[in-house]
Amino acid sequence: MDHSKQTQYSQNEKKDAGASSSVLNGHFDGMAKRPAGGTGRAATAAAAQPPGAESSSHRPAASVMESWREERTRSVEDNEMSLPSLAAAYTTILRGLGEDPQRQGLLKTPWRAATAMQFFTKGYQEKIIDVLNDAIFDEDHDEMVIVKDIDMFSMCEHHLVPIFGRNYHRSYLFWCLETACFMFVRLSTVQERLTKQIAVAITEALQPTGVGVVIEATHMCMVMRGVQKMNSKTVTSTMLGVFREDPKTRDEFLTLIRS
Amino acid sequence: MLLPEGLTSSFKNRGLDQRARMEYHHVSAKNGVADENQNAEKLSHIEKAYTTILSELGEDVKREGLLRTPLRAAKAMQFLTKGYKETIQDILNDAIFDENHEEMVIVKDIDLFSLCEHHLVPFFGKAHIAYLPNKKVVGLSKLARIVEIYSRRLQVQERLTKQIASAIAEALEPAGVAVVIEAVHMCMVMRGVQKMNASTVTSVMLGSFNDNAETRKEFLALTMQK
Repeated sequence: MDHSKQTQYSQNEKKDAGASSSVLNGHFDGMAKRPAGGTGRAATAAAAQPPGAESSSHRPAASVMESWREERTRSVEDNEMSLPSLAAAYTTILRGLGEDPQRQGLLKTPWRAATAMQFFTKGYQEKIIDVLNDAIFDEDHDEMVIVKDIDMFSMCEHHLVPIFGRNYHRSYLFWCLETACFMFVRLSTVQERLTKQIAVAITEALQPTGVGVVIEATHMCMVMRGVQKMNSKTVTSTMLGVFREDPKTRDEFLTLIRS
Repeated sequence: MLLPEGLTSSFKNRGLDQRARMEYHHVSAKNGVADENQNAEKLSHIEKAYTTILSELGEDVKREGLLRTPLRAAKAMQFLTKGYKETIQDILNDAIFDENHEEMVIVKDIDLFSLCEHHLVPFFGKAHIAYLPNKKVVGLSKLARIVEIYSRRLQVQERLTKQIASAIAEALEPAGVAVVIEAVHMCMVMRGVQKMNASTVTSVMLGSFNDNAETRKEFLALTMQK
């Protein structure tokens, strides 16, 4: 499956004819559109697979919500236990590529690569609740809050090659932490899904009037291999609540992040 | 490997020692024409290894997005290390010309992508190459191809720079070779110290570039201008 894409952000606004997508207490009514690369099941990629996940492809709203309450799929102890088999796998890879795993520069590489990979996917060890819980405050503020130019690094789930870029997100009404996006970005993921997961998590945690998330990233799988286009970037966005409904609000957001 | 006379002393001075020369040859001679069956077998080994990795990381390897990922990742890895199968002789043989030119030739801002051999994580940046021809010039894109051959391997930036310089020196026997690589290492950016803006610069100066400060200055002025 090919990643697109130079997805113009306006394309994400698919014409859900008459669908109202107001956010009510974290429940979404009009969230019928799915990102190209994901399915209902995929939205729970961050979660342990609950048994009902198979049927949730028809109920994207429900499964997307579950990510808020997910269990960790991995713990610190799991990390230590899986290190030897990860290292063995990397040794096989080195041999398969024609290298000599015994030469000095490569001697401890399987272990280093395994630890690095665990770090790149450490989002599996974390939950939104842990990251956000203590830092939500009541504040009588109803103007736009923007946090922009958040550097993010992720792994492409199709080629296991890094993605990196910038992330802009914002919410109404409450101050939100950017650590939320740090958790999600550590998962190996598809950029469309990542954008949505961040937006949904913020919505569920803060119940704001609206959330907008824009990610602009460079995919090394396109730059280093395949089509090998150096300067191409992929832009994906998710607009929820008042950002989706009110063009003026959306415009303000997009102008402010471009400046 | 015998080096051209004029360059021997500066090679020694710059520490292009036996080991670096051996590595330069050792790896390129390692893989001759690969056998088709062997290739397929190796690919499946790598694929199985990636499946193990994904499941050990806590992912569900049966989900739709990950179903063919081990195969794609294995092929991607093979592409990123295809330099092992290529030799300088293959690409350079036809493109060396006799030309009465002895001024500096620079090819700069060559995009470069490689894999750090310590973490198997990419590093990328730009290479700048210069040489002073000694009656022999090379097709310009061949300099970029030399960079490709050595960078598409598991590398250490220092060794990469040296290998590029010594390959050009051997093939062309010029009066001097200079290679500068400026790269960003994802292993430092995405993990570990996590410094976004740090970059690593390595250089190798051979022949006149090493002996003659003015020549070196000219090269640096022409390439490092932003």
